[in-house]
Amino acid sequence: MDHFPTNWGRPRNDAYDAYNTYPLHQRPSNAPTHDKFADAVQRTQQPIVTGTSVLAIMYKDGIMMAADNLASYGSLARFKSIQRLHAVGSNTVLGASGDMSDFQHIQSLLDALVTEEFTHQDANTLGPAEIHEYLARVMYARRSKMNPLWNALLVGGFKDGKRFLAYVDLLGVTYTAPSLATGYGAHIAIPLLRQAVDGRQDTLTEEEARKLLHDCMRVLFYRDARSLDKYQVATVTDAGVDISDTIKIDTTWDFAEGIRGYGAQTQ
Amino acid sequence: MFLTRSEYDRGVNTFSPEGRLFQVEYAIEAIKLGSTTVGVRTPEGVVLGVEKRVQSPLLESSSIEKIMEIDAHLGCAMSGLTADARTMVDHARVTAQNHAFTYDERIRIESATQAVCDLALRFGESVHDEEALMSRPFGVALLIAGVDEGGPQLFHTDPSGTFVRYDAKAIGSGSEAAQSELQDKWHSQMTLREAHLLTLRVLKQVMEEKLDQHNVQLAQVTPSKGFEILDEVKLKEIIDAM
Amino acid sequence: MPDGSFSHPQQRQFNPYSDNGGTILAIAGADFTVIAGDTRQSEGYSIQTRYAPKVFRLTDRAVLAVNGFAADGNMFVKKVKQRLEWYRHAHAKDMPLRAIARLIQTMLYAQRFFPYYVYNILGGIEEDGSGAVYSFDPVGSYEREACRAAGAAQSLVQPFLDNQIYFKNQAAAPNQSHPAHLPLPDVLSIVIDSFTSATERHIEVGDGLEIYVVLAKGRSAQGLEGARGIQELSTKSDGDRVFVIRRELKKD
Repeated sequence: MDHFPTNWGRPRNDAYDAYNTYPLHQRPSNAPTHDKFADAVQRTQQPIVTGTSVLAIMYKDGIMMAADNLASYGSLARFKSIQRLHAVGSNTVLGASGDMSDFQHIQSLLDALVTEEFTHQDANTLGPAEIHEYLARVMYARRSKMNPLWNALLVGGFKDGKRFLAYVDLLGVTYTAPSLATGYGAHIAIPLLRQAVDGRQDTLTEEEARKLLHDCMRVLFYRDARSLDKYQVATVTDAGVDISDTIKIDTTWDFAEGIRGYGAQTQ
Repeated sequence: MFLTRSEYDRGVNTFSPEGRLFQVEYAIEAIKLGSTTVGVRTPEGVVLGVEKRVQSPLLESSSIEKIMEIDAHLGCAMSGLTADARTMVDHARVTAQNHAFTYDERIRIESATQAVCDLALRFGESVHDEEALMSRPFGVALLIAGVDEGGPQLFHTDPSGTFVRYDAKAIGSGSEAAQSELQDKWHSQMTLREAHLLTLRVLKQVMEEKLDQHNVQLAQVTPSKGFEILDEVKLKEIIDAM
Repeated sequence: MPDGSFSHPQQRQFNPYSDNGGTILAIAGADFTVIAGDTRQSEGYSIQTRYAPKVFRLTDRAVLAVNGFAADGNMFVKKVKQRLEWYRHAHAKDMPLRAIARLIQTMLYAQRFFPYYVYNILGGIEEDGSGAVYSFDPVGSYEREACRAAGAAQSLVQPFLDNQIYFKNQAAAPNQSHPAHLPLPDVLSIVIDSFTSATERHIEVGDGLEIYVVLAKGRSAQGLEGARGIQELSTKSDGDRVFVIRRELKKD
């Protein structure tokens, strides 16, 4: 099922996007294109091993972020214990969807940046706002070279008593909001997150936040074919960054038996 | 260890132990060999005047060019090695046009002056293997006159890249006598006409030849008409009135 | 390439642009200018955030509204602000409005073959104290106008402004002519009505409204005193002054 109405009624073309790796809203046209410059230099890439949604919210004590442990190879669930949350310094956590090798490249960039800052020995450390600004520069610079880092990233943190939560993607587009999600989560989890979080950031407890993200991760596992029932949660608070062990999502599938065309019925 | 005292004037980028850059000081000296140049600022505009030394009766005096336009609202007069001034005026003109292109407005007089001074400081500058852009300081001083939103203004620049704003300033061989005369005669409510006359009188005092419309040149910058070099007819009229 | 690294063309075209919706608008008065924009940022059918400012104070007399591809817009504003600061250091004054307008043209045209995908509207007070609006296309064509709308709901708002500001299709009363400029309260009402209407009819417009008001030096704040949620942003009180009024728009 193609969920994007502008693609409806068009001929299907599996040469493009056979694995549904493009974000829904920017599917390439299915019509054959005749680009006069097609043979010229192109530096474009495509995502190969990909991670799906990342979710993040603000809550009373800081921010909380969640991402599952799957790295897909097209529709193949290729790596099932990949960590997609990365601590940057002691006040920031980075969550990545999209190409995992580009994400690893970004991790090494940031680790080098934090080390460089540390060697100055001036007691200054990079906070989440600085990390996000840096990432936005890198992502925009790469897209401007027509050689993007194929990711949608969430940067969350807590420093000097202030929460920070922001998004940046392969185009260099940035924004902040009390609840954020990338990929499929932007369609499926955001309505749930906004309803629970927006305007209540200052009172939402850690317990409530954890339950909220857990519920959203479960909905995503039910609906997103590129997701996994194993995920991790990161919090950044006064106490620093904490990335949890893997959490298993409990699911029930009995209802499927009763669905015509899905279960064991033949008629 | 130390170079002998006299050797500190060889390089343009070596300070002497007393903290002096001799080549720059010599360049400033070179200006004192140049013909006298005078600038007078009034509320109505700025007047520039230069002496043209006509060394031979066969010399075509109109070919001596010591006052140059930089932009419609801005010009300069020079003393010293006038050939060096061409580089500077050329830079000032490009800077002024570039400013007009980018900002759709006339460049401020101080900004144009600053641009010229930035260039004046670039002697001895080079990137490791390359030849220096300029091998020595400019041997010329400029009086830059113009009108902008701050009103009529007069600036003096010298080979060290320093610039200062003046109400009236004389440079060149007769500058000492001329400057004290300006100090005596200049007042803040001068008319442009008075400034023309003062400029010519000061030049007349310090010139060896008898002043006439062929061996001096006057220019003015006014808010209404901008920069203009006065033609010989106008010049003669002022000389006669003197 | 000499190193042969591109000798095997790679496949698939990366699209470096996106459209982040929203609408901006500016109207010039005799001695004031109003510049406004909604705060929704979207991509496709998704609202990315309900608060992403599109209107920016540049100086005490200039405000810039930027609409189109958000990443380009933010980068462009950043670079304009940088150029304004350099100008201040080089020329010891704030850049005049028409100089900013020309600067924006040169900056946009410099990217002629990889354009900033943004529509700019610059509003503020001219050197002569008059209100002014400059509008730009993505590659730098610009003109001074009395009013302009741009962005997702341009096609909804501009005809409304043509009618209300330029009095198009309105006949003046006998022996009377249409006013050249409207008073500030009238302009503010038109701006607010424009955005509530665009919010009703366009899915990419809504959430919040930021209205910047620039008053010429010496003009009283008459017409602003009653405004809800107003905040002054000027650095000094004896020159041109900038205010911002923040309002909610429908979020559906």
